[in-house]
Amino acid sequence: MFKLNCILASSVSNVCRQLSASLNASGSSLKVAYGFGSVGLQRTLCASAVRLQDTAASIAGSEKSSRDYSHFSPLIDQESSLRWGGKKFEELPIVHVKATYNNTHIQLTESTGQSMVRTSCGTEGFKNIKKSTPIAAQTAGISAAAKAKAKGVTFVRVVVKGLGPGRLPAIKGLTMGGLEVVSITDNTPVPHNGCRPRKARRL
Amino acid sequence: MSKHLRFIARTIMVQDGNVDAAYKTLNRVLTQDGIIESVKRKRYFEKPCRERQRKSYENCKRIYNTEMARKIAFISQTNRADPWLGC
Repeated sequence: MFKLNCILASSVSNVCRQLSASLNASGSSLKVAYGFGSVGLQRTLCASAVRLQDTAASIAGSEKSSRDYSHFSPLIDQESSLRWGGKKFEELPIVHVKATYNNTHIQLTESTGQSMVRTSCGTEGFKNIKKSTPIAAQTAGISAAAKAKAKGVTFVRVVVKGLGPGRLPAIKGLTMGGLEVVSITDNTPVPHNGCRPRKARRL
Repeated sequence: MSKHLRFIARTIMVQDGNVDAAYKTLNRVLTQDGIIESVKRKRYFEKPCRERQRKSYENCKRIYNTEMARKIAFISQTNRADPWLGC
């Protein structure tokens, strides 16, 4: 962790050069680099609501490459010059991936919430047990990406819900179909002891 | 998620289009926060008696593992105080 901090401190010039080269940022890239560094460290210190342990937050926050890249999403109130296809992070469309144990649904919505594309393993022609396979999820991802490209979408942020077999293959299918994934969020519902689930299976 | 700010918690940015690494990082963070195992456990209901048994088992296991790791580290250490110092 100390080494990473050294790399971060000593490569500010690299950061500016690479940021401006890769993101076509305006002339204030130097300020942005400093802002990002301090933002990243601040985000490391104030743990978010779901982070139960500090170790995870500090590990994720201290993993900074020489490009001053942050694992966290850009805060809305902070000015960040990161743009994907000209859009800010909050305006990118969202792909909701619901990975249940029996099926995988993929829905592409605008940042407002308007649904654009909806596919699932069932709509791809799989039936019953074949829907709960990673291959079915991958084909659903590819077809969703193809439909999205027809509507002119390139950059997208992904929200996964559930721990099913199609969790990772759906995202892989999206990238194989040509969409660019910008960020991955996990929105798996974790109840704070709400509804009682079904009884334990005795095999 | 709608009650909290979206896209702040449990979010990982993808670097250089490396979706696999980002997913691995996300998985690692979630397991370290104990979310994956709690979701797996809550899939079926766990009776309170089974929950108490499991908790006490995990406690004992943790104590045993830390003690054993301490002993192993003590035995396998190389920089020791010189036992024959002074004679």
